[in-house]
Amino acid sequence: MEFVIETNLLGKTFKKVRALTALNLRVPKNSIFGFLGPNGAGKTTTIKLLLGLIKPTSGSAKVFGLDTVRDSVALRSRLGYLPQDPRFYEYMTSREILMYTAHFFFKGPQAEIDRRVAETLELVGLEDKADRPIKGFSGGERQRLGIAQAQVNYPDLLILDEPAASLDPMGRRDVLEVMERLRKYTTIFYCTHILDDVQRVSDTVAILNRGELVSYGPIQELLAGSEGIAYEVKLKGDTTNLYQQIVAQPWVVGIQVKPHNEWTKWVVSVSDGAAAEHHFFRMLAADEGVIVSDYHIREHELEEVFLRIVEGGQHGS
Amino acid sequence: MEAKPQLASEGQPKTGNSAMILKTGSGWTRGLENLLSGELRRWFGTRTWLVQIIIWAMAINFIFLMVALNSSGGDMSSSDSIMIFNIFLGLVGPIGVSILMQSAVVEEKNSGTAAWVLSKPVSRIAFILSKMISNVIGVGATMLVAQGLIAYLIAALVLHLRLPVLGFVAGLGVHLINILFYLTLTLMLGAIYNHGAPVIGIPLAFLFMQQYLASYLASIYAPLSSAFPWTLAIPLNNSQDLPVAGALMVGAPVATYLGVVTTLVFSILFTGIALRVFQSQEL
Repeated sequence: MEFVIETNLLGKTFKKVRALTALNLRVPKNSIFGFLGPNGAGKTTTIKLLLGLIKPTSGSAKVFGLDTVRDSVALRSRLGYLPQDPRFYEYMTSREILMYTAHFFFKGPQAEIDRRVAETLELVGLEDKADRPIKGFSGGERQRLGIAQAQVNYPDLLILDEPAASLDPMGRRDVLEVMERLRKYTTIFYCTHILDDVQRVSDTVAILNRGELVSYGPIQELLAGSEGIAYEVKLKGDTTNLYQQIVAQPWVVGIQVKPHNEWTKWVVSVSDGAAAEHHFFRMLAADEGVIVSDYHIREHELEEVFLRIVEGGQHGS
Repeated sequence: MEAKPQLASEGQPKTGNSAMILKTGSGWTRGLENLLSGELRRWFGTRTWLVQIIIWAMAINFIFLMVALNSSGGDMSSSDSIMIFNIFLGLVGPIGVSILMQSAVVEEKNSGTAAWVLSKPVSRIAFILSKMISNVIGVGATMLVAQGLIAYLIAALVLHLRLPVLGFVAGLGVHLINILFYLTLTLMLGAIYNHGAPVIGIPLAFLFMQQYLASYLASIYAPLSSAFPWTLAIPLNNSQDLPVAGALMVGAPVATYLGVVTTLVFSILFTGIALRVFQSQEL
């Protein structure tokens, strides 16, 4: 697997405050990598280290195989960055901002740059405000412009710090759609507090807490949790016999029963996923006295996983 | 979603949809041209230039005009009249340029626009040089060229003085060196500090303290009193010498160019320190 970002024991201390400790991170190419953590966890510090805006006090980082300190200018020519609170020159219009940004990357021809700028304005829905000074822009409009300028150069890596912040629900949806469309062409590394968004679009997730990486891996693994595989089923009718049959299976670890009105909800923990997949539903369906209204493998909500990891003070990945 | 084009490298012809030509290189000039064009647009693509011309005209030439109109029928000597213009330009110029440069660097660091610009393929040297060059051009045009022209016209039309054109231009050049000193000093302080008070306070304190400092140093070694930027535009207390700019403007002999040399040397030194400090600045 090819990695776009690789950090090796990356650390940063501001005066005597340790902001980031020995971060080892690998971001696969063409992934949407969610970088999560509470405020002050070290997310923005990591981004600034990757961009070469600050220098590490220990360890090193590489982006596209280029060192973030020595080759900072070269690597920045291949990426796009949206700051957490995007601020631009207020005397420029949004079209001028994009033109200005594009000219850092492209020599010309001017007609092609104009075309790319117009296309990018349309992508973020700012075409009708393209020639208005950004001084009067709302937070959401600035955020859209921020996303536009971050990807005007067709970056190989997009680094987004809170991309959906200050956007209304429709704006948020649009941003997530843009991110999903861009996945084919680029790698997206982004920080956010909106965990629903991460769950929706990310394929890999890292959770940072107090400057330390506390969890890291494919989102499906993270959502499966550490308790192993469990099935959730919702049943109606006399379940006594069925319960006895199921609990006797060697692949069943335990059954948690939760009555709910005339329904009964079971959480069935299993030790052998393949055996459970083969037999479990057949056994449920075979009991004619029981109606099955829901049957699925339990997934944790990301918020639940995040809070458990962060509040539980879990350390080490 | 649009197809991601294959981009041509610098100098390569475009083929297929590889329409745009990439900039390459990562040297100290990377981004300078674009940064400079953005900074110059701030000066001349908005009404900033006009506002600045009006501000400086009110602060410098309005007083000069009032004095000229009140002088009794042209009996004011050319050196006296031009001295008023020189004194006001020599005081207002450094104050104005310190205020302008403070906002150019410190505000950009604090607002996050510097971090945004430097997340692009831009060298830090180019960032600082673009601030310096654009402001030298902006200040030069609005404070020196425009105000110099107005002052020359006031001298010619109101005071009926025929000042030597080349000498007048050379005098404005000396003012540019004086202003460059404060511009680079503020730039250096802006690179070092993240808040405005010392960045604006130190140049202004130096501006007004140097005449006393010059007098003190003169008591140790007399020529040292002429080594200060003050002597380029404003006469020192108890000195019979015309300041360098004033002498050039009226075609009088210049007592010493020591101040010009030291001011230039310090300006270069401040620029070097600003570049060095900003290289390791954390944004």
